[in-house]
Amino acid sequence: MTAFIVRRLFWTLPVILIVIFFTFVLMRQIEGNPFRTSERNVPESIQQNLEEKFGLNDPWYVQYAKYVKGVFTLDLGPSLVLRGRDVNDIVREHFPESLELGGLAMLFALVVGIPLGMLSALRANSFLDYTAMFFSNVGFAIPSFLVATLLIYFFALQWGDVFGFPTSGWTTWQSKVLPSLALGLGPMAYFARLTRGTMLETLQQDYIRTAKAKGLRWRRIVAVHALRNSLIPVVTAAGPILGFLITGSFIIEQIFAIPGIGRYYVTAVTGRDYSVVMGLTVLLSIIVILANLVVDILYGILDPRTREART
Amino acid sequence: MATPARSAAEHAPLVVSPTAETMAGAPIRQRNLWQDAWFRYIRNRAAVAAGVVFLIVLAYCLIFPLVSPYDPYDVEFSDARQNPSLAHPLGTDAFGRDLLTRTALGGRVSIGIGFAATLVILAIGVAYGSISGFIGGHLDNAMMRALDALYGLPYLPFAIITLAILGNAGFWTMVIALSIASWLTTARIVRGQMITLKENDYIRAARSVGARWHRILLRHLLPNTLGVLVIAVFLELPGVILGEAFLSFIGLGISPPEASWGSMAQEGYKNYRVFPLLIVIPSVAIATLILCANFIADGLRDALDPRTRET
Amino acid sequence: MAALEVRDLQTHFFTREGVVRAVDGVSFSVDRGQTLGIVGESGCGKSVTALSIMGLIPKPPAKIVGGEVQWEGRELTTLSERQLEDVRGHEIAMIFQDPMTSLNPTLTIGTQIKETLRRHLDISKDAARKRAIELLDEVGIPKPESRLDDYPHRLSGGMRQRAMIAIAISCNPELLIADEPTTALDVTVQAQVLDLLEELQASHEMAMILITHDMGVIAESADDVVVMYAGQIVEQAPVQELFDHPEHPYTEALLGALPQIDDASGRNQRLTAIRGRPPDLIDPPKACRFAARCPHASSGDSCATHMPELREIRPGHFVRSQHPASERAGKRVEVTA
Repeated sequence: MTAFIVRRLFWTLPVILIVIFFTFVLMRQIEGNPFRTSERNVPESIQQNLEEKFGLNDPWYVQYAKYVKGVFTLDLGPSLVLRGRDVNDIVREHFPESLELGGLAMLFALVVGIPLGMLSALRANSFLDYTAMFFSNVGFAIPSFLVATLLIYFFALQWGDVFGFPTSGWTTWQSKVLPSLALGLGPMAYFARLTRGTMLETLQQDYIRTAKAKGLRWRRIVAVHALRNSLIPVVTAAGPILGFLITGSFIIEQIFAIPGIGRYYVTAVTGRDYSVVMGLTVLLSIIVILANLVVDILYGILDPRTREART
Repeated sequence: MATPARSAAEHAPLVVSPTAETMAGAPIRQRNLWQDAWFRYIRNRAAVAAGVVFLIVLAYCLIFPLVSPYDPYDVEFSDARQNPSLAHPLGTDAFGRDLLTRTALGGRVSIGIGFAATLVILAIGVAYGSISGFIGGHLDNAMMRALDALYGLPYLPFAIITLAILGNAGFWTMVIALSIASWLTTARIVRGQMITLKENDYIRAARSVGARWHRILLRHLLPNTLGVLVIAVFLELPGVILGEAFLSFIGLGISPPEASWGSMAQEGYKNYRVFPLLIVIPSVAIATLILCANFIADGLRDALDPRTRET
Repeated sequence: MAALEVRDLQTHFFTREGVVRAVDGVSFSVDRGQTLGIVGESGCGKSVTALSIMGLIPKPPAKIVGGEVQWEGRELTTLSERQLEDVRGHEIAMIFQDPMTSLNPTLTIGTQIKETLRRHLDISKDAARKRAIELLDEVGIPKPESRLDDYPHRLSGGMRQRAMIAIAISCNPELLIADEPTTALDVTVQAQVLDLLEELQASHEMAMILITHDMGVIAESADDVVVMYAGQIVEQAPVQELFDHPEHPYTEALLGALPQIDDASGRNQRLTAIRGRPPDLIDPPKACRFAARCPHASSGDSCATHMPELREIRPGHFVRSQHPASERAGKRVEVTA
């Protein structure tokens, strides 16, 4: 198991290098980007700063190497727009909010979605099943901006006195409830549908029949034999979704005025602060990669067959 | 096990020998695959209903702007924010434009971008996946490693960067932005299908009689991936339509007065405290389409790939 | 009294197309130390019979609609699920056809044995582990201590089936039901597993029900044989009697389909096949269910309109046919394809 994790960690390095490379190449295409010396209206001090940091007159591969070095030494360079501020400052300031929002939304999605899907599968074709699946299908299809606005409209404005949820911000626990729900609803519905499907499939398996033939109690069959095997596909899906929740919270952060990284990302793109865009993109990519890494390790724990086969 | 099999083979002699079980289990096709799939599909009530609604929405978006008495761009402030009435079945927006007409217009753009991007995704995915799967060996290995790395790219940030590179956001820039980081899954599916098919006996047979590789690819492999691709269209469509909506909503996609469901939702969002209908209508349109696409995809999967059918 | 007595068992599947009479009035009994072979082609109801005894039929769509399953004087069909759970794996154990899918791939072999032991016997963790090692040793798995912590995918098919057998005999059951235990295995391994089952049956003094479509397996292991066709018993006899004097045309066909390797002339003979296919078990014909395929039946016979009774043609030998071999006055008609 340890060897498996080490191998997997090792493989993460080239992936990060490739992702940085792609980002780097893409960013070089943008007009007025930090890695093109011509036609730029960047303040002189920042220009010098960049020059010094990434050697803008060096060939591109030297620039790339220097940028990679920057990433691995946790130094993403200066902001093009904000004088005297580094990308690092921005990450430090805005990232915790996004991480917390994504984490809470994920928690909501897992804690509600998986049991809901399990219940649906165990009571397949019952009224409960149909109701749960109806809401899951709808919840999965509704865009998060509608969920967010409706939540604000009803729980913060119309019935705000009863519930006491604020319309925006990210300070008190009350202010964190609605954004987390709005962001997590879609994934929650997805997990419910997925868990139901895999659970139903698992319950059909021969080894479940074996477990019954052994006289095991139904509770144990569900908890030990069915659940573990049904969770394998769920875990596989959870990685990309966690990545999406942390990197794709632009809209929720905008609607609830949460000072997170997603909101800042949009600001940076429209404000042409490309060194910030580049830094944040690399950061978000690394998060996605790490989320996938965690999933692979979990996958290895849940399914012993993959430990040997996969690197 | 379960119920005795009732195959279509009315007069096949049953050989009772040690291998009788396996031989009797082999189905004999009397209808071709697509007819078979069609019969299975129309038995699935949810999928049929979803298909009908989907076609109705398509027809409405295509035809209604032609026959509507209102000009979707015509600003009439005296008619602003009207509730639904006989004259305006869905009401009017903040500029007094008829919402029923404008939603159809927005649908043309959203669905158009959705289908165009889906086709681009499939084209790239098929090319990449079939090359990787068909040629196999070291190339396959390298291509799959590269794919693994690309999975680290966060989807929305890359769409945003692409938009920034391409400059102003129009129909085709949106298509490119939405497909650039979304073809990975399709490529993986196509490769998997290719590898499975390649191991099939009839492909081996074709090889053994000396069929040329391009003939095998074009006559045997690609037609047999068609089923997977048809499903993939409806699997990819929701993501792309949501992506368009997200980008337009944060102001980086289609911008007013051009209509897309995302840009309409953005306009509606500005007014949601006083007139929530404006964000609800385009969102419900998006949700309807996605819901239909999901059910259609489920139905198609059951119809085209009976092995994976859920109970 | 017999350990297990099944009387007029009827298990039906309630499907959208109609009621499938998968098991339609089956009766037999098994004594301790005896092996009952149930033979028939797929879909004849032999597996459903076994699952009905265990209470493992998928409900819905299946349901036991009639008959009795008497186990050591207790009626199993009326037991609650919780009471049945105490019987399963403890008094009656079962092994299945495909050892590849019948073991949980995410749990070690040891866990899957130990959980059975801990469920039915009042036994400590350490004792369960010790017992599990003994069991693996007993079923002939080499290096049992290290195999205990292996996952099923590390074992070959034959070894997995041995592990399945170890699980089944772990609580010293009085009846072992083996549903096609060798079908999914390599031919060379099949004989080993059958031998193992016979050995264990003798040493544990178990009753055994051996379900198969393979007359060769029956010949090797069974004491009594039940031949099933389309949800019913068509012939029932001690094994020697059945092989020497098969009465039912279907049984004759099954035996004719068995390759005769030691018979010099057999090499040149073709394997005989039976024309047609079993009847639809939704609304089966009132007639003999084999009539449509029977080489001896003609349209004027009463078996074309009435179901023949299962009758005792010789002591201990039952047959459900109007045209048993011994009543055909010597003219043995060859069943051919």
